[in-house]
Amino acid sequence: MAWRRQLVGLSTIITVALAWYLATSVTGFISGGRFPSPVDTWAAFRQISGRGYADGTLLAHALHSLRLVAMGFAVAIATGVPLGLLMGWSRRAEALINPVFLLIRPIPPLAWIPLAILWLGLGDAAKIMVIWFAAFVPAVINSFAGVRAVEPALLEAARMLGTPPWRFITEVLAPSASPMIFTGLRLSLQASWTTLVAAELVGALFGLGRVLNLAQQDIYPGMILVGMLAVAICGWLTTGLLALGEARALAWNQGESRPAS
Amino acid sequence: MASIRFDKVQKYFGRGEKRTHALANIDLEIRDREFLAIVGPSGCGKTTCLRLVAGFEAASEGAVSVAGKRVTEPGPDRAVVFQQFALFPWKTARGNIDLGLRNKRMGGEERAKRIADVLKLMNLDSHADAFPHQLSGGMQQRVAIARAYVLDPEVLLMDEPFGALDAQTRVVMQEELVRLARVRPRTVLFITHAVEEAVYLADRVAVMTRRPGTIKEIVDVKSMREAEDWNRFERIEDVMDLDSFVHLRTRIWKSLREEKDS
Repeated sequence: MAWRRQLVGLSTIITVALAWYLATSVTGFISGGRFPSPVDTWAAFRQISGRGYADGTLLAHALHSLRLVAMGFAVAIATGVPLGLLMGWSRRAEALINPVFLLIRPIPPLAWIPLAILWLGLGDAAKIMVIWFAAFVPAVINSFAGVRAVEPALLEAARMLGTPPWRFITEVLAPSASPMIFTGLRLSLQASWTTLVAAELVGALFGLGRVLNLAQQDIYPGMILVGMLAVAICGWLTTGLLALGEARALAWNQGESRPAS
Repeated sequence: MASIRFDKVQKYFGRGEKRTHALANIDLEIRDREFLAIVGPSGCGKTTCLRLVAGFEAASEGAVSVAGKRVTEPGPDRAVVFQQFALFPWKTARGNIDLGLRNKRMGGEERAKRIADVLKLMNLDSHADAFPHQLSGGMQQRVAIARAYVLDPEVLLMDEPFGALDAQTRVVMQEELVRLARVRPRTVLFITHAVEEAVYLADRVAVMTRRPGTIKEIVDVKSMREAEDWNRFERIEDVMDLDSFVHLRTRIWKSLREEKDS
């Protein structure tokens, strides 16, 4: 039955593409100045892939953005997950950190962009900082909630077995919270892309957001669409990569029903 | 000498208005290598007794000591078998059993030897590398018992360990535990609400009153078992058919019944 569903999905995409072609190129129902035709888009794609646009080829822009997301996301994991685990593990740490966290949390990550640019300029550092802030919050919250949701009997079993603190965190708390941690990472990754594109739109010298920004200034709908599609594909790739990591890390979790959120 | 002593233990939960008196003046000794079962109406605090020995809870008054040492925190000298198994789902059977040994900083060779031994003892050889979710309830509880036994603990604390199993698996595990108690005798505190199980397994059965729980009476099973030579039977149903078994079971049941009805 799987191939049938795929067939339905494929035919939907073909229908949409056909409708797009009809509405733009054939009938002119949608003018090319508002939304590009498939032909315009293809031309824009050819241009950015070959000669380049906004000082680089599509691949170079995409790799640049990917690299920033990967770095910001990595920093967010490396700081957010341990902090969440710590807050879940120790009531004292929670009491100490949570007030600061609650204060910062309602600030939308995008609101940090001006400050980041002011501090770090238009370069990579500012983007990484903003992505870090955006991806940090879901990583912390879900790791924290994951630890708090650990079955009490498992904690008692670990204590009964004389498990020392570090091993307690790495072999009991972290794996137990890992389904929730991965939920947090999925949200973090999403936030990373959103924030990066926004940050590059506001001010960047390079990257997919820069392509979008320049294409808007040039009134170049075909290029805008190419940029949007490139962001979508990059997001889809990284999400897939994360899902792969999750499937590996949570292989023990197969067949067990756990809440997805 | 690994005996368990309850010395005039009182246990309260909560504070002020909401304070409940869970255990009242528990005075009890479980002797070295004795198998003592506690039965009692639900909510009487029998599990709390076990949790005091395990170190998961502290007595409000009085003291609990194991092998002459006062209990202050959980530790591998008092191994617990939980009703819901409490196996780490991300560790294989072997990994679960190994954790306590690694915590003791035991060398790899010694650990491997001990694990192989306990796997054999619990008939788990072919399941060593399975994750808990791949095992049946009975098998999971075998792993949990192996995890406790491998530590070579002073005392074994079992909190309704077969309560979550189906009737047939339960019988198998009860027979298994009797076999284990003969091969590797340990001081055991066993909590159950099933009178038959208590009489079948224990040397002595302590009956508790309703909350605030206290020890109502202690019934000696061991002398009857030895006098009537219950051990000549392999199967639990043959033992349960004996007049002497029925007599003890009925006696404990009536004692318990008074508590439930009053």
